[in-house]
Amino acid sequence: MSSPIDLVVQTISEKINPIDVKVINNQIEIIIESRQIITTFQFLKDSSKCQFRQLTDIAGVDYPDRENRFEVVYHLLSFKNNLRARVKVYIDEGSSIDSLTSVFPCANWFEREAFDMYGIQFNDHPDLRRILTDYGFEGYPLRKDFPLSGNVEVRYNEIEKKIVYEPVKLQQDYRHFDIQSPWEGTKYKEEEQDRNGGK
Amino acid sequence: MAESKTVTVNFGPVHPAAHGVLRLILDLDGEVVERADPHIGLLHRGTEKLIETKTYLQAIPYFDRLDYVAPMNQEHAFALAIEKLMKVDVPKRGQYIRVLFSEIGRLLSHLLNVTTTAMDVGAMTPITWGFDEREKLLDFYEEVSGSRFHANYFRAGGVHQDLPEGLLEKINDFCISFPKVVDDMETLLTENRIFKQRNVDIGKISKEEAVDNGFSGFVLRASGVPWDLRRSQPYDSYEDFDFKVPIGKNGDCYDRYLCQMDEMRESVKIMTQCINNMPSGEVINRDTKIAPPKRAEMKESMEAIIHHFKFFTEGFHVPEGEIYSAVEAPKGEFGVYLISDNTSRPYRCKIRAPGFAHLQAFNLLSKGHLLADVPAILGSLAIVFGEVDR
Amino acid sequence: MAIAATPEIGSQELEDLKQRYSDKGFIVTNVNNLINWARTGSLHWMTFGLACCAVEMMHVGTPRYDVERMGAAPRASPRHADVMIIAGTLTNKMAPALRKAYDQMAEPRYVISMGSCANGGGYYHYSYSVVRGSDRIVPIDIYVPGCPPTAEALMYGILQLQKKIRREGNIVR
Repeated sequence: MSSPIDLVVQTISEKINPIDVKVINNQIEIIIESRQIITTFQFLKDSSKCQFRQLTDIAGVDYPDRENRFEVVYHLLSFKNNLRARVKVYIDEGSSIDSLTSVFPCANWFEREAFDMYGIQFNDHPDLRRILTDYGFEGYPLRKDFPLSGNVEVRYNEIEKKIVYEPVKLQQDYRHFDIQSPWEGTKYKEEEQDRNGGK
Repeated sequence: MAESKTVTVNFGPVHPAAHGVLRLILDLDGEVVERADPHIGLLHRGTEKLIETKTYLQAIPYFDRLDYVAPMNQEHAFALAIEKLMKVDVPKRGQYIRVLFSEIGRLLSHLLNVTTTAMDVGAMTPITWGFDEREKLLDFYEEVSGSRFHANYFRAGGVHQDLPEGLLEKINDFCISFPKVVDDMETLLTENRIFKQRNVDIGKISKEEAVDNGFSGFVLRASGVPWDLRRSQPYDSYEDFDFKVPIGKNGDCYDRYLCQMDEMRESVKIMTQCINNMPSGEVINRDTKIAPPKRAEMKESMEAIIHHFKFFTEGFHVPEGEIYSAVEAPKGEFGVYLISDNTSRPYRCKIRAPGFAHLQAFNLLSKGHLLADVPAILGSLAIVFGEVDR
Repeated sequence: MAIAATPEIGSQELEDLKQRYSDKGFIVTNVNNLINWARTGSLHWMTFGLACCAVEMMHVGTPRYDVERMGAAPRASPRHADVMIIAGTLTNKMAPALRKAYDQMAEPRYVISMGSCANGGGYYHYSYSVVRGSDRIVPIDIYVPGCPPTAEALMYGILQLQKKIRREGNIVR
């Protein structure tokens, strides 16, 4: 008798033809191509074996060095099987991905957030506006190349009697310590460690 | 000729009934809400970006500040995520303390939410009673961590310090006296005619819609879905405890209120069991380098001093991998999706806040209701903007 | 009732006047003192709860601390309020709303900045979406440190503000 998780993995690998399916930490990880997204999710939701009825979350991840820069990670939950699944789609900066709002209504805001934070475009989304950042915000803050402190900051201008946006000027820069501090990683130290028998 | 015409009203962002900084654009036909468009992000602080620049240890306090009415529950999710990635066990005493304080957090959250919602619909007294109990709970927080709210107490591998002497007795006394307060509050609210008129059949949502809209926690259970992560996917010894999961039937504001009241009683039960069966031993895993060395050790051992220094400057390294770990926070499923790249800083930390999904369905919930019902619905969803906006 | 000449503060003439009237059930004081006494005794604060500190701000009004015995009561509308307590992180998106609420308050108005986020950005100082100190948007009278400041600390801040009003002692700010 195979466990429910194996059964689900088997069903998924037979039916939807994913790039990869594996089980990590008792969670199923499925990697699919971006064009098969709607059919995959419809299957995962409706198939009697899987029954991933709830979309818990959508997360974007940015890997600037990769060819397909962004990863969109969907988290699914099956109440019946008590299982979680993670569906990953890789896309590059220019391309877009189909919106899941037709399958899961709650994808609406999650996709808006991914758009807001990473600039990932979703096709057929009913209302793709920025959600969390400021009105009129420029840039996509969670991308790795976006500066931590942003590009603009606000101030009240006494003369113009309104809030104005100005380029960021920090009194003190964010101190990002180099963890590989030289006194620890020098050869001399390592040699000494070797002499003492790795202690 | 009189013609139906909608009026657009801007509700917030500085509105006392919005429970924070929500801005709602409401299209009204007379007093009936036709469409509600919540504008969120007025408390967007860039937590996820900041976490990427901090070590795992420095990132924990950001979780306190997400859902600030129940701080330790969010730390819990993050601590569990790190532990799963590092494959570290938590000593039994540490687990029990975490359960104890998670349940205190649940009380804190429900007390605040039930009483303020009652105030929004016209009942003044519960807030004075509920906040008095909150003060007692905050004293417990202060005793273990030194801070009333932002405890930074749950760490990867356990909790920061052992409980001070005599605290368990104090919590036990509280557990004995508290159910009486819940009963008193119920006499004020549950059968109160005004309260029922304001809540029964308001903001109704069916089982299927609740699941489709990503609901979790008591909001989902009030619609009749028996789903509690403490029961279905137990973490940290929750399987040792005997408690009921209150389920609603109608999925309206009133059922959500009742679920919260019953959950408070169940939390007290869990707390009592926790106190009676509290194991002895370490509170944090000291075998792996996930915890700082003890002060006494540092007086004698050079190794310990080096470890201490490295621990608080560089932090511990988490092996490469990714994990989604969720806890049953007072408001629902609070999840952390953590990606690590074998450094001491998270590569990506996506926070899944229950309130975000709940607020998303606000249009669905408030459609066809009166403008005066908007605060009641908002209150019943237990929205806290720290976690919605992050 | 007409007063022939204004006696100097602290002069013998004033003391006589006080003496004469107190026997008949009146109190003689100067207008400045009277107005400042009234101001410090009814500091209605506007609840500008933004984040975590807002919960402490709620606690200060509830029975254990009960700040109303200091004469400070919460008011929901900026037009009723004398003092605005900025409780929590002020973000770029929220800044215009904060200024608008401040502009609606009637003079004399005071602002208490509560918590390290409102004081200077605090834990979120380097974030792309946080105002690094609410004094960039509105003038602040009292800064209450802490993250969040305990309810006692906020109460002390309110007492400090009362002290400040008494010390300044002027009618027009």
